[in-house]
Amino acid sequence: MSGPGNVESLLREALSPVEPPADLASRVTSRLQSISDHAADELENWELAAMRDPRNWLRPALALLGGGAAGAGLVLLRLHQRQRRDAESGSEAAHAGDGDAH
Amino acid sequence: MSEPAKTKAQLDEEFAALYRTHMRDLYSYAYYRIGNHHDAEDLVEQTFLQAYRHFERAQRESDGRPLRPWLLRIAHNLAANHYRYRSRRPQTSLEESGPVAALHSTEELVSGRDELARVLEGVKRLPDDRREALIMRFALGMDNREIARALGRTDGATKVLLHRAIKQLESLVALAEAGA
Repeated sequence: MSGPGNVESLLREALSPVEPPADLASRVTSRLQSISDHAADELENWELAAMRDPRNWLRPALALLGGGAAGAGLVLLRLHQRQRRDAESGSEAAHAGDGDAH
Repeated sequence: MSEPAKTKAQLDEEFAALYRTHMRDLYSYAYYRIGNHHDAEDLVEQTFLQAYRHFERAQRESDGRPLRPWLLRIAHNLAANHYRYRSRRPQTSLEESGPVAALHSTEELVSGRDELARVLEGVKRLPDDRREALIMRFALGMDNREIARALGRTDGATKVLLHRAIKQLESLVALAEAGA
């Protein structure tokens, strides 16, 4: 053997790429597909099971109540603001009327 | 502004393209690393299954760089675990647990060519990290930077690793020649 260059060229020859078996790609594909399907089924079953369990109703119910309360609060706030605005514009009109009278 | 999240179908399609592109490289690495077709197939399959789980994140974090070193990093870690697992099972025969116990049909390919056979024999005797670096360079044609990313080393450390691997291989081959 005559040096590093020679070893490197021998290495290139000795370690030639190896072709995978023809069915390996399809095996990996079907394995991935089954994992993906399994995960989707699991998720669906989990969601259905979760819906049937009354312990899991509390959170959506609380969310509904919370949402309802927030909505009602907003309506009241708007009403209150409108009443204040009406009252303010009424008193301004009254003051303006007073000024005109003098 | 961040890109919109990809749909699962898009990700699956991109992943399929990834494994079609790198299947041969992964298989070559696994084959030379483990030494038999059965375990090499298993290693490739496990590598892609693990890669699939983290593909979206890897794509995000790769910043457009090629994902081959990432795949090889997964295979490298799985191969290391494979030997650790086997070394904890004393009932396994030495032949099965030894690295690259039977180097396949390349041996058949190189039969009659003593020089190549001695080089392959030398590669088998190298420590794992040196052998892996040589496989990545010569079987997969990776450059120093890619090998560094796959092995989790710096570019400089990888250059030194390759240099030492070749030096050690030369000594092993020279010894074998002297003994022949």
